[in-house]
Amino acid sequence: MIVAGCDIGSATGKAVIMADGSISSYVIIPSTTKPEITARKAMEEAMGYLGLCSMEELDYIVGTGYGRLKVPFANENVSEITCHARGAHWLLSTVRTVVDIGGQDCKVMSLDDKGNVIEFVMNDRCAAGTGRFFEAMARVLECGLEGISSLSLKSQKPAVITSQCSVFAESEVVTLINEGKDVIDIAAGVNNSVAGRLNSMVRKVGLVEDVVLTGGCAKNEGLAKALEGKLGVKIKKLAEDPQIAGALGAAVIAAERVRKQSESVHS
Amino acid sequence: MQTSLRSKVLDTFIEATQTILNPELKKWIDNGGKVTGFFCSYGPEEIITAAGMVPIRIRASGSTSTELADAYLSSINCSFCRHAFNMGLSGKYDFLEGVVWLNNCDHVRRIYDNWKRKVKNPLYHMMSLPKMTTDVQVEWFHDELVIFKEALEKHLGIKITNNKLWEAIKTHNETRQLLRQLYELRKKENPPITGAESLAVVVASTAMPRAEFNQKMKELLKDLKGAEGIKNYKARLMLVGSILDNPNYIKVIEDIGGLVVTDSLCFGTRLFWRDVNEKDKDPLKALAKYYIQEKPACPRMFGEQPNRSKFIKDMVKDFKVDGVIGLRMVMCDLWTGEFFMLDKDLKADGVPFLKLEREYAVVGAGQLRTRAQAFMESIGGRR
Amino acid sequence: MKKGMKQPEKAIKLYRDDNAYMQMLLDMLAADTSEEGEINRFVIKAVMERTNDVLQCVEKDEPFIASWYPYSAEVLTAMDVTWWMFAQTAFLGIESPHVLDDIDGAERLLGSDFCTVLRLLLYYVEADMSPKPSALVALLHPCDGTVIAHQAIKHGKWADVPIFGCDPPYWDNERAIEYYANEMRRMVGFISEITDKKLDIDRLREVCQQSNKEYALWQEYNELRRAIPCPHDWTLGPPQCFAMATYYYVGKPQGEAWFKKLIANAEKRVKAGVSGVAGGERIRVLWFDILPLMWQFDIQPWMEAEWGVNLVMNMFGFTPYTPIDTKNEKTMFHDIAKRSLNDFPMVRQARGVADHFLTDIERIVKDYSIDCVIWPGHMGHKDGSANIGMMREKCREIGVPFLYIGLDLFDKRYTSPDEVKDRLSNFFSIHGLGQKK
Repeated sequence: MIVAGCDIGSATGKAVIMADGSISSYVIIPSTTKPEITARKAMEEAMGYLGLCSMEELDYIVGTGYGRLKVPFANENVSEITCHARGAHWLLSTVRTVVDIGGQDCKVMSLDDKGNVIEFVMNDRCAAGTGRFFEAMARVLECGLEGISSLSLKSQKPAVITSQCSVFAESEVVTLINEGKDVIDIAAGVNNSVAGRLNSMVRKVGLVEDVVLTGGCAKNEGLAKALEGKLGVKIKKLAEDPQIAGALGAAVIAAERVRKQSESVHS
Repeated sequence: MQTSLRSKVLDTFIEATQTILNPELKKWIDNGGKVTGFFCSYGPEEIITAAGMVPIRIRASGSTSTELADAYLSSINCSFCRHAFNMGLSGKYDFLEGVVWLNNCDHVRRIYDNWKRKVKNPLYHMMSLPKMTTDVQVEWFHDELVIFKEALEKHLGIKITNNKLWEAIKTHNETRQLLRQLYELRKKENPPITGAESLAVVVASTAMPRAEFNQKMKELLKDLKGAEGIKNYKARLMLVGSILDNPNYIKVIEDIGGLVVTDSLCFGTRLFWRDVNEKDKDPLKALAKYYIQEKPACPRMFGEQPNRSKFIKDMVKDFKVDGVIGLRMVMCDLWTGEFFMLDKDLKADGVPFLKLEREYAVVGAGQLRTRAQAFMESIGGRR
Repeated sequence: MKKGMKQPEKAIKLYRDDNAYMQMLLDMLAADTSEEGEINRFVIKAVMERTNDVLQCVEKDEPFIASWYPYSAEVLTAMDVTWWMFAQTAFLGIESPHVLDDIDGAERLLGSDFCTVLRLLLYYVEADMSPKPSALVALLHPCDGTVIAHQAIKHGKWADVPIFGCDPPYWDNERAIEYYANEMRRMVGFISEITDKKLDIDRLREVCQQSNKEYALWQEYNELRRAIPCPHDWTLGPPQCFAMATYYYVGKPQGEAWFKKLIANAEKRVKAGVSGVAGGERIRVLWFDILPLMWQFDIQPWMEAEWGVNLVMNMFGFTPYTPIDTKNEKTMFHDIAKRSLNDFPMVRQARGVADHFLTDIERIVKDYSIDCVIWPGHMGHKDGSANIGMMREKCREIGVPFLYIGLDLFDKRYTSPDEVKDRLSNFFSIHGLGQKK
């Protein structure tokens, strides 16, 4: 059985192909302005690694993405929250709280032991706590996204950024730079600020271990450390790139669909 | 600007604005004393004092985050409430024996519901504050005061006698009189103390054992006698609004030449402009009358707007104010409506009025400076 | 004989236009000979009747007053005083083509985080779009907005309108009820003076008995909504019940007649198992606020077709009912005060401690077999939005999903219908609701 999951985000498009229950290939590509094109490109690249030529060769494709966005060639589209939860759970069956930080939204989900979502909260109204926020800060600090992580880990005394709105936070950071604050501490302050936001969201759904981070910003070690400090628990690392959790979850769901179909055929 | 004022007491007061547990309060607690916190200037602190506890006004000084509170509240709730609740959730108010609320506004009254479910204190008490100021409401509030007194008696296993109440009223009235003496000095052409410093004094008056504050206040007044008056300022300003407990906010305005000489604020004249009537027969009746009818009213009091307006206009005259700055906490409905009305009233009298929005913990110096500067330039400046 | 106030011409013209618009609706609906059509026409006629009453007073230069639904209008019916609900202009004006201009105009007065509907009240007064009453009975709870909005109204063009408010206690016990009963007695005195009309206790008894009948019928109707599937959608039933019982036909036999029609229709549908949602009911929602009447065309067809949603119960359809004891003046004023404090929607939940939100959620979820609870989070409900954590925990406790949206019930630019659809879609799909069989 060979299935695929395709996750179209605001910043990146992801595709995961699974064969007989394990990951065969996956890609992460920058998003184009047309979601259908991004989806196709990601799928074709992932298929290319396996020498597959056409989507007909896949048994089932599940699409997911931001909002009510639909991947047109998918057999089915499932909400990204369900997919992220499933993907995280497939990678770590003990996970019960998923914190996803995407390009332009962030969300927290609580799961049951089967990977189903019990509750979730989203922030998709503003940039606070999202990839956009980090991009803006990285620009101001002139350090790149990786820089925010590596710099922050060196800090002993994170700066305090009180503004929740990323526009005001940006001007706060500029002020801190002008005051001569060490960029190491400012970077740590940025991570702390986002971690605070995420902390609120986790408390809304209720903190249950194990906790994992997914999404593009999950690779920010400084952020993970800051969030661990606020939650008081260790955040578990996922065995694969956390950015593919959504596409992976979609693929897992695709496999389930195929299994169900064959069961009903045989019963 | 700086004053020539060198005062240890003033330093103590300024320190008290930066935290919740100042040394004086800590000493009281270390000696086994109990503290009860209350939200809102309508909280009957005299009864808390009469019960042998120190009443402190709940602030969120030093709070930099609302992340714990945001799990329960929303972004359309007042930032003061979110910070205060956050402090509660962080354990910063675990030292309180009791916490007292009134339904003074939608945001604060909901903190009662949230706090009592999530923060551990031995006693929570909510009081029903009327929205009007006739004798009928005085009677209602008197009954609320009796209920409160009895709740304290029951909780502490004590009796709060009339004598204790009168003593407490006397002490708190003394605080009020001393603060009025301070403000009297600010009427001068060259006041000896800045607005930022004055705010620190008023905040301190709500933050430590009262008798001790009164003592220190008398010393401060002595220190002020010798102080040189402030000369080089551009405009005499009056601040009007709700919760401002951070002198750094006023400092921004005063560093560019403004001089705040008076106010109508929740940590300001509305706390101490009138005394509780010590000649009344019954202390609780005196308190009820004071809080409902005599204390300068806040916008939630229906029918009182003409008096509130007059209060401000009289201040403007008495303190020779050049311009009024209204400070509204974002999301505050009461002050939105109040400034809509005050704007028209001040315009009718030719008094310049600037409306500013603010958040509790963020000074926003850049934006504040720009606006205050433009305002002072537009009112012509007298110096 | 007391005279009326000098009327702003613009307002009177608007009210005449309103009636003309209503007449046009009536004419359009004349072709609909179904029972539902008749029920709806009844309501439109009620609206027109009230507007006509006001216009008549204006023509005869007689006094009429502006009041609010939580001031149990039984006394006004008994005194035969013409009154209109102060928020009516805002609620009916929402569908008008100029509403966005009005909202923007209101923003210039009271900013953008002040409740839109209360802002509009002030705007309509300042813009001469509200008929001028001989007296305004000001609502002083459940929220801050209403306390200050009424002060602002008194401050401006209605400075010459006598205003009265009943001081609201925060509690709901006997002491509070007695206190409020006295406030209402004072209110009656105030209205008597303005209108020269007296309150006759025997007449009040008649009216309260009639009103009791209406409320009992409302409860009967609500019980029918408990059926699975619910016999009516959310646009037929709850909003009209509220309007009839608390505003248009308070203690008047026309109200009883209308409720009986509604109940008969609902009963028939329940017996036949007919759903109020044409495509079949798949999700039963508690919409814990004012119904999104302005969003009807934007989200209702989509909600029903895509998800089979019926807003089975909402805050304004849910009015618990204790009959008014008509023994004497004391019992009547006591029970009227009790109803004013503890029964009327939104006031009931929001004016006091948060527990009222939570007990209502629990009750409604159980009684109406609710699948999920939505707190729309209208931007004016500052106190309600501070209850989100508690509501979420309560829903968790009773095992139903909870959604907080955050929108402006009157201004679709704040959170657009598309965004709302996104939120609802996510929410329903993640919780496995609304699956087609």
